[in-house]
Amino acid sequence: MAKGLVFLSLAILVILPTLQLASGAENEAGQYVQRKVEIWNLFFKMMTIAFTVGAVVSGTLIWLVWRFRESNPKAKPTKYEEKGEW
Amino acid sequence: MVVSGHSNWPEWIYVGVVIALLAYVGAEAWNVERIVEHAPAEAEVIKVIGQQWFWTFERADGTKEVGELHVKKGHPYKFEITAKDVNHAFNIHDYVILQDAIVGRTNAAWFAPDKAGEYTIQCREYCGLLHYNMRATLYVEE
Repeated sequence: MAKGLVFLSLAILVILPTLQLASGAENEAGQYVQRKVEIWNLFFKMMTIAFTVGAVVSGTLIWLVWRFRESNPKAKPTKYEEKGEW
Repeated sequence: MVVSGHSNWPEWIYVGVVIALLAYVGAEAWNVERIVEHAPAEAEVIKVIGQQWFWTFERADGTKEVGELHVKKGHPYKFEITAKDVNHAFNIHDYVILQDAIVGRTNAAWFAPDKAGEYTIQCREYCGLLHYNMRATLYVEE
C-alpha cells in the first residue's frame, strides 16, 4: 500500500507539469509569453513548495522532540528497552 | 529494516512525497526555462554588440543603431549577443532580459515587448572605467 501511494503521488506530480508542455512559446490568447510573468510565477510556486516543505519538516522535528522527550507523561520505554534486549 | 510489530509506511509516504516534490520542482523549472528560452520562428534577429562602453544593434538588412534601439510593440525579437573587447552583459531590466556578452561567442535571448515606452538597457558585467555609463535606450513603439 505504501509503495502504491508513493507511485501515485509521483505519477500525479510528474504528469501534471508534463501536460503543460503543449503550451510552447505562445499562451492560450495567442500572445507571446512574457518572461517577467513566467519567471515570477515560477518563483511563487517554488516559494510555496519551499515554505510548505520547511513547515512540514520543522513541524515534524518539533513534534518528535516534544512527544519523545523523557519528561513527557506519555513516555514509556519500548518493550526492547524494558527487557534490556537489543 | 522492518522491526516486527512496527509499521514503516509513514516513512515510505514521507520519502515518496519528498521525491515527488523534487520531481515537480525540477519538471516545473525545466518547463518554464524551456518556454522562456524558445524563440518564436518569426522573431526578428537583432545582433547586439557590446564594447567599451556602448551598445551597437545591427539588423539583418545591415542597418545599425548605436546607443538606442527601436522596436515595435507586440512583435518578437531575438537578440544575438556578443562582445568585441571584454566581457559585458546585456540587460533590459523591465523585460527581464539578462544575457552575457562574451568575446568570440554568441548568446541568444528573445522578447516581445507588450508596452510602448522608453526603457533602459544597461551593461551588467563590470567592464572597465565607464561601465556604469554603458547604457542604451530601448524605444518600444506602437
